[in-house]
Amino acid sequence: MTKKIERVRAGEKVFDWLLLLFSVGVLYEAYRIDNGVQLNSAGSFPVGLALIMLASSIAIIFSHRRKQRDPQIHSASQEFKVFLHEHFKTHIVVFSIVSMLYLVAIVWTSFYVSTFIFLAAMFIYYRQGKIISSLVIASLAIAVIYVLFTIVFRVYLP
Amino acid sequence: MSDTFSYLLMAWLDPGLLGLTALGVIAGIYIGAIPGLSVTMAVSILISFTFSWDINNALALMVGIYVGGVYGGSRTAILLNIPGAPSAVTTAFDGYPLAQKGEAGKAIGLSTVMSVIGGLIGVAVLAATAPHLADLALKFAPRDYFLIAVMGLLLVSSLSGKSLARGIFSVALGATIGLVGMDMVTAQPRLTMGSMELLGGIHYVVVMIGLFGVAEAFYQLHNMAKVPVKQNVDKIVPPLNMVLKFLPLSLRTSIIGVVVGALPGTGGDIASLFAYDHAKRTVKNPEVPFGEGAYEGLVAPETANNAAVGGAYVPMLTLGMPGDAVTAVIIGALVIHGLNPGPMLMIETPYIFWFTVGNLALANIFLLIFGLTGIKLFSKIVEVPKAIMIPLILVLCVVGTYSLNSSMTEVYWMLGFGILGYWLKMFGFQMGPIILGVILGPLLDESYRQAMSSVGDSSTDFLLALVINPLSLVLTSVIVLVLLGNTPLKSWLYSRFKRS
Repeated sequence: MTKKIERVRAGEKVFDWLLLLFSVGVLYEAYRIDNGVQLNSAGSFPVGLALIMLASSIAIIFSHRRKQRDPQIHSASQEFKVFLHEHFKTHIVVFSIVSMLYLVAIVWTSFYVSTFIFLAAMFIYYRQGKIISSLVIASLAIAVIYVLFTIVFRVYLP
Repeated sequence: MSDTFSYLLMAWLDPGLLGLTALGVIAGIYIGAIPGLSVTMAVSILISFTFSWDINNALALMVGIYVGGVYGGSRTAILLNIPGAPSAVTTAFDGYPLAQKGEAGKAIGLSTVMSVIGGLIGVAVLAATAPHLADLALKFAPRDYFLIAVMGLLLVSSLSGKSLARGIFSVALGATIGLVGMDMVTAQPRLTMGSMELLGGIHYVVVMIGLFGVAEAFYQLHNMAKVPVKQNVDKIVPPLNMVLKFLPLSLRTSIIGVVVGALPGTGGDIASLFAYDHAKRTVKNPEVPFGEGAYEGLVAPETANNAAVGGAYVPMLTLGMPGDAVTAVIIGALVIHGLNPGPMLMIETPYIFWFTVGNLALANIFLLIFGLTGIKLFSKIVEVPKAIMIPLILVLCVVGTYSLNSSMTEVYWMLGFGILGYWLKMFGFQMGPIILGVILGPLLDESYRQAMSSVGDSSTDFLLALVINPLSLVLTSVIVLVLLGNTPLKSWLYSRFKRS
């Protein structure tokens, strides 16, 4: 029986190194709580957790030794290209940017107006046109949100 | 005794509670079935809408969603080979081959009946064991709570993913997030990076919505183009002789489900894996081989994952420790309503326990009714395109987060956790351990400091107490065994044992 080869994903190593750096940052912040290490204080548990994060992120980085890179990737620049292709596809980037704009827009327009524009824009984009039906679905969604959250649940909306 | 019965039947006799439970079960079946929506996501968002409600109403809706959702994942696993929930992954192994043979209706019907059997057994075990366990838990010392929490987090780290190191990192990250803010004992700021806004801490619901809602929405963007294969389904009520034939297996896997579900931090997904493995090892001559449409391969995981629901409530209601990610969220709901999950719950508010037991049983009855009807409508609804679903998930996450404290800062945090969750998920980290860490982190911190204070801050006495006290010794041994089980020592011992 052949052992299944574990593959390292494009960008995985960099991400795991970032986690190690993050753990060091958490350890520094945890150490600053008591300005030292004590067994029973406000900072003792955070220091312990930071050390666990640090140890496990080192173990994660070491585990890469057992994994192999995709045989089609030969250089760091090639890996970077694969990473960009996998995680920064146009429809993911568009969703991310429009989502951020939506959250900013909520503050200076009303929730309902910004939500309607966000939903309509995303529906039209993802459904490749179909403007009328997208506008109808967005309007219906707004009506359901109004009934459900403003009338039934009576929650505060932005 | 009469009080117990009135609490037990409260949800059955109150039309409002009856309606909310039914609504929850229906919603749960669809939420569990639609890939991209999860029960944890739904319950997390629901907390923020229901915190002004009466606790019984809020719990009735959440229990309904939980029970319906665990079952709902099996529907799409059978029909489309896309498990709607992690606990239904094993269901797809034999469920989808059955559907391909034109037996989708029978498979759905059988999985419904078996889910209900498993669910009811889980509730019976909860009712029978939890009061005794709560009495016992009153005698637990802080170090025992500390050890149980460590054991739960270690179990979830080792069982929830392929890598123990990633699991432990996730749990520690979650616990660190849970500790951000002002220390409750000394009022010192912890991990706030000098920010005044972080002094109040990060609300766990914000983290949950981000990790389970936004992260999942981003993750689903990768599979936008995936078109599921449709199946024709007509009659789904299974014949009685078929149910009786698989009843012994169902009873055995129910016990597996309850036990695994009751281990803090595990849940239906792990229970269903154990049950499937048990069925494979014990059913010697199935009519069809496992993986090619064996009904045994459908019955085992479906019974176990629903039995795990009752099991997951045991540590939650008796120790204040979540059995799985959903009960972690429900603990949050109880705390928001001013309740105290743990052994004191049985003394201070026993009605909550008996109400939950009665409500879980009722939800299983509704599951039987709704599970065996409305399949045509179901087939239409699960086909909601992702193009419509994903933007709507984001809007729901925004509404859910904002309604907590009317704070846009928390909405931005939620988005931040969503993006972090997406990257973690892409590189093999699980979201469940992070959430359990967020919930259990402060509890761990508190019990550790109490335990240390009780031995005069002496590390030697603390370590000694772990082996002198019988309960602490058992828990310490389990922790050591789990740790050793994840080292090369396990395979070395196994090979030595095999040779001898």
